[in-house]
Amino acid sequence: MKFIDWLDERLAVKELVKVTLTEYYVPKNINFLWSFGVLVMLVFAILVVSGIFLLMYYKPDAHLAFDSVNKTIMMDVEYGWLFRHTHAVGASIMFLVLFIHMARGIYYGSFKAPREIVWITGYILFVLMSATAFTGYLLPWGQMSYWAAQTITTLFEKIPFIGPDLVIWIRGNYIVEDATLTRFFALHVVFLPLLLIVFTAIHLYAVRIPGSNNEDGEHYTKEEKKHGKGIPFWPVFMAKEFFVMSIFLTFFFYLVFYQYKFAMDPINFQPADYLQTPMHIYPEWYFLAFYEVLRGFFFSQNLGLIAFVLSMFIAAFLPWLDTSPIVSGKHRPIYKVLFWIFIADFVFLTILGKLPPTGLYAWLGFVGSLIYFAFFLALPIVSRIEKKKVAGGR
Amino acid sequence: MIIFIENLAGGKVMADEKMSRRDFLLYAMGGWATVGVGGVLYGMYKTWEPLPEVKAQATVSFDISTVQPGELKVVSWRGKPVFVLRKTSDMVQCKDRSVENEYTVVMGICTHLGCIPNWEADKKIWHCPCHGGDYDACGKNIFGPPPRPLDVPPFKIQGTTIVLGEEGPEYKQMKEKGLTT
Amino acid sequence: MKELKILAILVVIVLIGYWGIEPYAHSVMHGEVKKSDYAYSDLKVSAPTGGDATKGKELFMANCASCHGVKNDGINPGMDKNAAITSFNVVPPDLSNTAAILDHKFLVAFIKNPQEATKNPKFAMPPMAQLSDEDVANIIAYLSSVAKKDLTGKEIVVEACGRCHSVKYQKIEAETPKDNLKAYLGKIPPDLSVMGKAKELEYLESFINNPQNGLPGTSMPRLGLTKEATEKTVAYLDQIADPHRDQRNKLGVWVLGYLLFMAGLTFAWKKKIWKNIH
Repeated sequence: MKFIDWLDERLAVKELVKVTLTEYYVPKNINFLWSFGVLVMLVFAILVVSGIFLLMYYKPDAHLAFDSVNKTIMMDVEYGWLFRHTHAVGASIMFLVLFIHMARGIYYGSFKAPREIVWITGYILFVLMSATAFTGYLLPWGQMSYWAAQTITTLFEKIPFIGPDLVIWIRGNYIVEDATLTRFFALHVVFLPLLLIVFTAIHLYAVRIPGSNNEDGEHYTKEEKKHGKGIPFWPVFMAKEFFVMSIFLTFFFYLVFYQYKFAMDPINFQPADYLQTPMHIYPEWYFLAFYEVLRGFFFSQNLGLIAFVLSMFIAAFLPWLDTSPIVSGKHRPIYKVLFWIFIADFVFLTILGKLPPTGLYAWLGFVGSLIYFAFFLALPIVSRIEKKKVAGGR
Repeated sequence: MIIFIENLAGGKVMADEKMSRRDFLLYAMGGWATVGVGGVLYGMYKTWEPLPEVKAQATVSFDISTVQPGELKVVSWRGKPVFVLRKTSDMVQCKDRSVENEYTVVMGICTHLGCIPNWEADKKIWHCPCHGGDYDACGKNIFGPPPRPLDVPPFKIQGTTIVLGEEGPEYKQMKEKGLTT
Repeated sequence: MKELKILAILVVIVLIGYWGIEPYAHSVMHGEVKKSDYAYSDLKVSAPTGGDATKGKELFMANCASCHGVKNDGINPGMDKNAAITSFNVVPPDLSNTAAILDHKFLVAFIKNPQEATKNPKFAMPPMAQLSDEDVANIIAYLSSVAKKDLTGKEIVVEACGRCHSVKYQKIEAETPKDNLKAYLGKIPPDLSVMGKAKELEYLESFINNPQNGLPGTSMPRLGLTKEATEKTVAYLDQIADPHRDQRNKLGVWVLGYLLFMAGLTFAWKKKIWKNIH
C-alpha cells in the first residue's frame, strides 16, 4: 500500500486536500489585495520564530532586560541583531499589512452578510494583535517602552469608582515596575499568541464556509466557481500567492537590513528612567491615529478618553452600520468617496499623532477626529439611500 | 534541458511537456526554498554558540608560586573546579602525574558520577561525599567506585604561571602515556 | 494593469504616511541642530603663544599637582582618589593627554575660570586667578610636551568622559562613584554604550561641542575638545553602538539577492499555471 493511502485511511488526507486546497474555489475576479491575509499569517510566523530566538536570551527583569536586548542579543549572540531587527520590523509591518487587509474588507464589503463572523473574529484579532504589540513594546525596557506603558495604564485611572485601584492592580505596583514587566512578558509570549492562533483558526473556518468575497461583491455558487467563475486554491491561487510573498519578503528584508529606524525608535535606546519622561513621547506609528483621537478632544479629557475607546472599537460594528444591499464599494459611488475621505483622514490623524498637540495641530486633530466618526455615522444614511436606489430600480 | 531529457524518454506529447516544465519550476522553487530554510537554520544554529564572555573563559592563568606547601587552591576553569595542590615531602610523589614535580593539578570532578571531592588535610586524600570514592594526593583513585584517577586538564607552564586550557608539552606527554583522557 | 494601479495607490499612501511620521515629524520635534563652534568665540581670551615647557612643569608642580596627576611623566596627584571624591564629589582628571584633546584657547580660558569656560557654575575646579597669561602658556606647553599624539576614539572617551560616564558594554566604569556624581551634577550621567544609537551623530557632535546646545541648563560641562577629538569621539560612540554594521550590510545583499531570485522563480511558475486561465 502506498504511504499516501495508509495516511488517507487514518486521517482522510485526500479529502482534506480536496476540501481545503484543490477543490476549494476562490473567485477569479479578485486582485492581489486578497493576498494580504496570507501575508498577515506569514508575518505572524516570522514574529513567532524570531520571538522564540529572542526568548532564549531575553531576561524579563527590570534590571536585566535592557542589557539582555541591547548587549547580549544585539552584540554578543551570533546573528542576534538579525533576530531583533526582524522581530521589531515584523511587529511594525504587521500593522501595515493588517490595515491594508482591513481596508480591502471595508472597501469591497467583505464584512457584510453572510461574513459578519469573519469580520468580528478579524476585528478581535486586530485588538489582540494591538495588545500583543503593546505588551511586547514594554519588554526592551527603554525610555519609550516605559513611558508608553506608564501613560496608557494611567488611562484606566479615569474609569469611575474602580479606576485608581484598577491601575495599581494592572501594574502590580504604584508605577510601572518589575511586576508589570513580568506579567506583560507572560501575556506577550504565551497568552496572547495562543488567543491569536485560536481566533485565526475560527477566522479561517468562518471564511471557508461562505468562501471569499470578490471585487464586485457578487455571490457565486460552488458550481459557478468550479466552472469558470473561480480558480482552485491549489495550485492556481497559491501560485500567485507565492509570487506576492516573495515580493513582500524582499521589501520586508530590505527594511530589516537597511531601513529599520522607524521600527526601532532612537529614544528606546535610552534605558528606562522612572523619574524622567523624555522630551518627546509618542506611540508606535500604528497607534498614532487612535492616539490623536484621544488628544483631538483637547478641551475635555473625559470626552477624549471615550472617543479614544470608541475609535478603536467602532469599526467592529460595520456589518450593522452599513446594511446597504450593494456589497462592493466598486459599485457604490457615494460610498467610494466616503471611503477615500476616511483613508485620507486616517493617514492625516496618524501624522498628527506624531506632532506636538499645540496650536494649529490641536485644531486639525479635533477636525480629523470628527471626520473619523462621521464616516461610520454616515453609513446608515448611505445604506438607506442605496436601498431606495435598488428598490426603485437602477 | 527538459526537452533533451524528454526526447531521451522517447518523445512526449505537448501537454506532458508543459506539465513537466511546470513541475520543474515547482521543484526549482522548492529547492530554492530549501536553500533559504538551510540558511535560516544555520543562523539559528549559530545563535546557540557560547557567548564571547564564555569563550573568553576558555583559558585561565594562575600563579602556582602563590600556593604554600601543603595548601590546596581551587581554580575555576570553564565553570569547573581545578584542584591545585602543592605537595609536601610526606605526600605521595608521582613524577609522571605531577606538575613541576611538586604540584598536583587535576579536575576537581569525581570520575565516578561528577561530584566534587573534598580534601581531607589530615588524611592527605580527597574523599568524594556522593559514593565514598577516595583519591590520593596525586589524584589517583585508591578506594571506591571511581574507575580512574582525577583527570588532568590541558595545561601549559610559563615560568610560575600555569595556563589552564592550553596544551603544553608536559600535558601532551601525560596524554601520550595514557595518564589522562 | 489594474493590479499595478492598486499597488501604486498603496505605495503613494505609505510614502506619504512615512514622510509625515518620520522626516517631517522629526524635523518639527527637534528642529535644526545648532552648529558647533570650535573657535570657542564666546571666550574672550587668545590662544597661547610660545610657552616654555620646563617653566611650565615647575608651575604645574606648584599649582596643579595637588589635585592632578600626569601619568605620562610619572607624576601622582597630591590628593588621592578617595579624598578627592569626598571633597569634590568627582575625581580630578589625569592631565597626561589633555593638551592633545582640548583646544588650547579653551584651556587658557578654562584654567583661569573653569566655571565660565565649562558653562557650569558649580564646576568643581577652582579658578587659577593667580596665574598670568605667560604662566598659563608655559603650563600648556609642558602638557603638550608630555601628551601622546594620535589618541584613539576610545582613549579620548576614557580621558575626556570617563570620570563621569560609564561605557559598560565596553567594560569601562565611570571613575567617580554614582552617589557622588549625583551630588555633584544633580543626576547620574547616562551610560554611553548605545548613545550612538539613542541620538543622531550630528546631534552628538554639536552636543559635545557645547552641551547647552542640546540640553539648555544641563550640568554637563563644556569640555573644549578640538574638532578632531570630537570627530574621533563621535566615530567611536557610533562604532561601539553598532558593531555589526559591516556584517549586516553584507549579509543584506545576499538575502535580498536570494529573495529576488525567488521572486523570479515564483513569477515564472505563476505565469505557467495561469497561462490557461482567463
